[in-house]
Amino acid sequence: MRLLFINNDGGGFADYLDVTEGMTVEQFFNEQMPNRRPEDYLIRVNRQPVPRDHVLQENDRVTVTPTKIEGAA
Amino acid sequence: MNDKEVVRVAGVIQDVLRQLRRSRYMRCMAQLSLFAGTMQELVRNSRKLSAALSRDWYAAAERSCKNISAQLSDISFPVSNIQSLLDRCHEEIPKLSEIADELWTLREEFGDVEFNGEENALCVITEPITLEDIYLGRFRIALYVDCLCELYQKAPYFVMATDPHPAGTDDAVTHPHVSHNVVCEGDGAAAIRAALEEGRLCDFFCLVRSILTTYNPASPYVSLSDWHGIACYECGYVMTGEDSYYCISCENAICDSCSFGCADCGEVACKSCAGMCEICERSLCSSCAKTLCGACESVCCESCLDEGLCMNCKDERESDEEQETESTEEASEKRETTVAGSQLANGGQRACADCSTVQPHGVGQTPVLPRQVAQ
Repeated sequence: MRLLFINNDGGGFADYLDVTEGMTVEQFFNEQMPNRRPEDYLIRVNRQPVPRDHVLQENDRVTVTPTKIEGAA
Repeated sequence: MNDKEVVRVAGVIQDVLRQLRRSRYMRCMAQLSLFAGTMQELVRNSRKLSAALSRDWYAAAERSCKNISAQLSDISFPVSNIQSLLDRCHEEIPKLSEIADELWTLREEFGDVEFNGEENALCVITEPITLEDIYLGRFRIALYVDCLCELYQKAPYFVMATDPHPAGTDDAVTHPHVSHNVVCEGDGAAAIRAALEEGRLCDFFCLVRSILTTYNPASPYVSLSDWHGIACYECGYVMTGEDSYYCISCENAICDSCSFGCADCGEVACKSCAGMCEICERSLCSSCAKTLCGACESVCCESCLDEGLCMNCKDERESDEEQETESTEEASEKRETTVAGSQLANGGQRACADCSTVQPHGVGQTPVLPRQVAQ
């Protein structure tokens, strides 16, 4: 099934991805953001916070935003 | 912001995003023009190279090659810029309902959203922020909607401390990564721009908040370890309050190296305000440095003044007085040998042989010399 993934970690580009049916948010995160901790991110599906075992649906919009971003001077 | 206002603001933002899209196309054109100019230069240089080779002018050919090499190394940056802009050109403007959803989500995420109609600014306030045990307070993130279409020229938002706890060395730095209400986005720059271009308002505010809640010790305007420090007015060295001195004249904070103790009153003065005794060269505060020698007007400390004169002038005066005393004594002796015994009527003063002073009591009279009296 197809969904929109907005990764605000880095370039912030949005991509349409094909994922397997029944995939949970946690599984999706681990696949797209390997070696990252979910607690370091705001994870939203269709702009709403969801539990880790939330099952993704067709045309869902998944947004991942880091909670720690290093500024500069 | 109630639901009606949400819809109204969503409409305003949608209009601005259309203008932003136009700006994006204009910027594409501008970048392409620059790139085309560079390509024309390349073509010119390639013709020069060809002409040089046809004449066996190898020095000229080498020069052309160097120019071409420099131009080629400058091409990659504008190319990636244009590519980045072109990648975004096909992005659809979000629907009014999508922008309204963003605003409602923003309200849930931050507790409240305010739209300032006068400034056309969408504002949220963060939770109080503390970094490494240093309390910085809340920050108001204000997105100026009218400035969104100038996204490629300047940042359309400001971050203002609602309860400032600025760095001790610079009032304008209210956060290690905020100066004069402008955030240095660092690693978040690209994501912030993308969020604004696509109208993902909640993502934008969340990204800015993520920068405010993170400390990057490698690149702050003022590091947290120096946050409560004081900068020396003379050299800029950051010191704690306990290690600082204050100039008695200008009251600026100064470090130990830039402070001078007054030789007379013991007060501390900075390098700019401190004077110096011109005799012993010890430091003086600005008040004590007004003490001058009565003769030569040199700045002197109390120790170097004697009866209002510096040592040099005192010595000179003493020397002059001695000389005067000697010459007076000599003159006196001389007078006694040449004018002894002569008197004038009515108590007129005895005149010296070479004295041209008028004698009011003896006008018309002349002293009678002993020799004449003897005769």
